[in-house]
Amino acid sequence: MVTTTPDTLSPPDRGIRWFLQNQTSWSRAVLGSAAGVLSFYIIGAIAVLTSHGWTGICPEGVTRLECSPSDPLAEGLKSDGLGLVATIALLVGLVITAAAITSWKRMPNKSAREAVIAGGVLSSQVMALAGFLLWFRATDVDRFARNFLNISLIGEKAGLAWGTVTDSIGSIAGLMLAWAVVAATLAGIYAWLRKTRPRLVVYAALVGAGGGLVWGLIRIASVPSFIKGAQNTLVLSAAGAALGFGLGLVVALFAMSKRAVVRAPARIYINFFRGTPLIWQIMFAGVGLVPALGLDLSMYTVAILVLGFNLAAYSSEVYRAGIQSLERGQIEASRTLGLSYFQSMRYVIVPQAIRRVIPPLLNEFVILIKDTSLISVLGLTLAQKELLGIGRTIYASSFDATAWLGAAAGYLIITLPMIGIVTIVERRLRSGLTSVIG
Amino acid sequence: MNDDGSLVRLEGIHKWFGGLHVLRGIDLKIVPKEVVVLIGPSGSGKSTLLRSINLLEEPTEGRVFFDGMDLTDIQTNLNEARTHMGMVFQQFNLFPHLTATENITLALIKVLKLSKEEAVERAHQQLGHVGLSDKTESHPSQLSGGQQQRVAIARSLAMQPKMMLFDEVTSALDPELIGEVLGVMQDLASEGMTMVVVTHEMGFAREVGTRLLFLDEGVIVEEGIPAEVIAHPRHTRTQAFLAEVL
Repeated sequence: MVTTTPDTLSPPDRGIRWFLQNQTSWSRAVLGSAAGVLSFYIIGAIAVLTSHGWTGICPEGVTRLECSPSDPLAEGLKSDGLGLVATIALLVGLVITAAAITSWKRMPNKSAREAVIAGGVLSSQVMALAGFLLWFRATDVDRFARNFLNISLIGEKAGLAWGTVTDSIGSIAGLMLAWAVVAATLAGIYAWLRKTRPRLVVYAALVGAGGGLVWGLIRIASVPSFIKGAQNTLVLSAAGAALGFGLGLVVALFAMSKRAVVRAPARIYINFFRGTPLIWQIMFAGVGLVPALGLDLSMYTVAILVLGFNLAAYSSEVYRAGIQSLERGQIEASRTLGLSYFQSMRYVIVPQAIRRVIPPLLNEFVILIKDTSLISVLGLTLAQKELLGIGRTIYASSFDATAWLGAAAGYLIITLPMIGIVTIVERRLRSGLTSVIG
Repeated sequence: MNDDGSLVRLEGIHKWFGGLHVLRGIDLKIVPKEVVVLIGPSGSGKSTLLRSINLLEEPTEGRVFFDGMDLTDIQTNLNEARTHMGMVFQQFNLFPHLTATENITLALIKVLKLSKEEAVERAHQQLGHVGLSDKTESHPSQLSGGQQQRVAIARSLAMQPKMMLFDEVTSALDPELIGEVLGVMQDLASEGMTMVVVTHEMGFAREVGTRLLFLDEGVIVEEGIPAEVIAHPRHTRTQAFLAEVL
């Protein structure tokens, strides 16, 4: 009997080109016009607002009721031009949405159907945005703009004037060079020891230079400013994380002991820090314990300690879940080979558990970044204030709520890249999960 | 060796899991170079009995003697004793974050305090022994089930144990991979290794085993030379079990 092996086939194209080839003229029209009306709305609105100007300059000594830097923006928002853009977008969006709803089921193939559905969803989103803008224009736009849309304030309070940057360009370049050299050297030693790819050195140098640039800019920023606030937020969360993640692993190992007397203190610690509000812990430590015990600790140190102790309680539960998710056979095999309990933990269990707990620990870190805002209940100096404290300080001196937007922007600049890293690490570890579990 | 010439001696072993009486008074002597095969229906306690020998399960009552040591004595150094008893599991239990070589060298370096060079050399030698010289740097996920199980056997053998315990080591394998693992175990038996084997492979029990124990409901119901017990079981429960599996 002759058996034939079929030729190995490459998978068929199911990518973007295949998607486009399968469109009908109708589906193409629906998706195209939806994309068109979205761009019309966004570009049109930006164009109208820009033509009126985003900020203005007011003469010295006038009240904010007479003149606010936000006046041009308020005029743009109230202008007939913007109203026209929003109305057109709303009506066209309505037509496209209706067309998509009535026709998506009749498309001949999946690609065309998906295109019509996407077009319908996009155009309904345009309707929502345009409708919101029309509603907003009907409110007291002037007052809102005076309170929240003074964009120039964020620029002023960012902490960096162009002049200071150009003056310190030499020292910043020096920092970038120094950091790049240090990072590249460390990466070079690592690559040489582990015999990994030398490309790492280039990446390290680039990251080092970037870090040097950021640090250089932070150093010359004025006080109080959003940049200084971001620096404090970063320092507080990094120091808190170092303490919390380290201590958390120790607490987790105690909490998993088979001996009740070892387990009990760890459980009490975890339950106390998880069961009371973080803001209470910060107040109790800073306003209560430190003065009562006569401790010689700055409020900044107290803040780091409390944030770290709190994180340790939460991260210990993450570690515990990670360790207990490993199969029982791992520790049995290890003990059978004569390794002690602690050797088994050290060489077999913890190295595997760490990989599983990295994504949830990074999530805890993102939470910690935002929780640093709670230390504003401690009496901190201007130079020690983190982002929210800075926002509050600037608001208190200017009565301009735009300061809160500046603080929010600062948090997002820090947390969004972190959230991105969590997503990437999760995807990596998940794709490698088969190799972890085997 | 114990003073009565046995390598392992179990005396009156009882094991309760909560209210469940899993082992009900087991007495057993195993002399060097014996290949003892444990068979029995699921839940009969054969795995628990095997795991009692190296105290992975601590007997609720009774004593375990191994090589002159009372393992049930709290003052016995159990970690040291375990280095002389290899164990291989149904689920392989290789360490997934380590390569085949590192799986073997870990205990050699950390427990036996060998130098890294000696440990690697011994690991490569053992991997060669089980026919995996070309897989020294592979991670467990890159190996087939049969290959993983052979690495697990090599990992135990590298400790140069006085006896080996096998807990249903072929049960998780695809049928075409069972032969390679049984082959390694057969070679090991012919080299004179003392072995205790929990298995469902009756062919292996008959050809390699020197003694067969049939366990049911936590007691040894019948024992004897494997070929004879399998061909002419005396006890009705043994007959019923063998009729099911053969």
